Amino acid sequence: MRQASTWQRGLSRVPGELGTAFLGWCASWWRVFHFGALALVMALSPATYDRQNRVVTANQIYFTAWQILPWFTLLSALLSMVLIRIVVETTLSYGLSQYALEMVVRVLVLELIPLFAALFVALRSGAAINTEVALMHIRGDFDEQRRAGSDPLRRELVPRVIGSAVSVVALAAVSGMVALLLAYLGVYGFSPWGLAGFNRTVGQVFDPQVSIGLALKTLLFGVAVAVIPITASLESPREMRLAPVAVLRGMVRLFLVLVLLEGAFLAVRYI
Amino acid sequence: MPPEPQPSPLIPHVEFKAVVLLALMLAIVGGFLLYVMYARGVFESTQRLVLIADDSEGAKVGMDLTFSGFPIGRVKRIELAEDGKARILIDVPRQDARWLRVSTIFTMERGLVGDPRIRAFTGVLEDPPLPDGAMRPVLRGDASAEIPRLIATMRALLENLEHMSSEGSNLSASLANVQTVTERMKGRHGALAGVLGSEENAKKVITALDRTNALLASVGEVSNRLDRIIVKTDERVFGTAGVMDETQKSMVQLNAMLRDARDSLKKADAVLAEAQAIGANARAATTDLGALRAEVEASLRKVAHLVDEINRKWPFARDAELKLP
Repeated sequence: MRQASTWQRGLSRVPGELGTAFLGWCASWWRVFHFGALALVMALSPATYDRQNRVVTANQIYFTAWQILPWFTLLSALLSMVLIRIVVETTLSYGLSQYALEMVVRVLVLELIPLFAALFVALRSGAAINTEVALMHIRGDFDEQRRAGSDPLRRELVPRVIGSAVSVVALAAVSGMVALLLAYLGVYGFSPWGLAGFNRTVGQVFDPQVSIGLALKTLLFGVAVAVIPITASLESPREMRLAPVAVLRGMVRLFLVLVLLEGAFLAVRYI
Repeated sequence: MPPEPQPSPLIPHVEFKAVVLLALMLAIVGGFLLYVMYARGVFESTQRLVLIADDSEGAKVGMDLTFSGFPIGRVKRIELAEDGKARILIDVPRQDARWLRVSTIFTMERGLVGDPRIRAFTGVLEDPPLPDGAMRPVLRGDASAEIPRLIATMRALLENLEHMSSEGSNLSASLANVQTVTERMKGRHGALAGVLGSEENAKKVITALDRTNALLASVGEVSNRLDRIIVKTDERVFGTAGVMDETQKSMVQLNAMLRDARDSLKKADAVLAEAQAIGANARAATTDLGALRAEVEASLRKVAHLVDEINRKWPFARDAELKLP
């Protein structure tokens, strides 16, 4: 009898717990958006870039973009080449080779390369930022900085957001350019006479909506890669044993957001 | 926990590198933007062409207008006009507009796969060029629209085939008949029985053939006899002292008789010529008589005239005056 009443109490507590969890989830997402907006505003205001901050931002850009640019370009060129080859061969065998170039441009440059760049930066820098910020948060470095009179948001966090955003955009731009070049070579070979048709197809694919969508998507990817891990780290409890949980949560949420963003842009464009 | 080493002093020219990367990124993005604008024909001077279609289904903004397989224009807008027709507004770069003439025909074809294609056909390139803002109807060709018709025709064809090959159809009845005929042809009398329908008929025909053979043999004998008769006749008619010989002699005599008759006729002819001469003399005499009579008449008239003269000149001439009462 006593056991049953315990069950009842337990059951009656479930809706309350669910509500708390939902509220916590909402608050957490709110903090993501809030921090994202704050970071964007600070990144766009010139006052952020004083001497010290410039160096930190330059460092971040160096680590997240400059260092990996050659390797990433090589890797994405390889991937692009394989995909272009597959698409060209398949369309040839179906007698639809006139659609090969458009398909390559749409699939590679518009969808795969930005997502690939964002995932690469997330794996390499996002995870590092997540761990670093989680550790700094647990150690209380930010509180120390605040006591010392400097703003940790401006000194530590915004440069990381800028670095990852620049990284994703730069990687996507360079790889996209290389992919376009490879697509031309894959479809027309080393002949200059396909240029008019190539220009035409690229012009057809990149109408204003698609171009704006691509720019917006890449930028959002870049911001998300830094903002989501940082927010996840900042909201974790200050216990060293919970640091891996914060990293895990941040990375999972980041992947979720990247996939959702990609899906949302695809839906807007094709539905 | 020891403080993390600051990496910034370790990297040479970090700010410069960051600026280079940013500049590269901006250059790529800006260059690509310009390239896309160029590829979309933003910097080209264009002229407008309006195609009027009953149905703009499948037409999309950005699709090409092709001439001989080369894209020469791009659809800018598709709108519904007040009269319910679709207006497809196309921008044609001025350097490509020379392929479009007033006699150009525009078609919108839809294949089984892919978007429809708008094509221009110019038959006479010497015609005056198409003016800016020209409105032209577009002819539609739809391969997929043909499919239902094709399927309907095929269904009718298949139904006919099914009807033809079904149990109790004319074709199967004919085939059954052919089978019966070939069965009969396999019998003792072969094809004859097949053609005539039964063995009895075939037998009758064979009997008839036998009789005909016998008949032909007797006819041969008859013709032999006739041969002999003809030989004899020949001898009697054409042989020495035959009918023909006698006839020839008679003909010679007849010829002599005819010659005599001709001589007699010649003599008669001479007699007639003489008679004709006599006639001619008589006619001359008749002419002289006419002249004599005329002279007598003239003398008489003179005598009468003389008497009249005498009567007039004579004192006891009668009063010739006519007195009216």
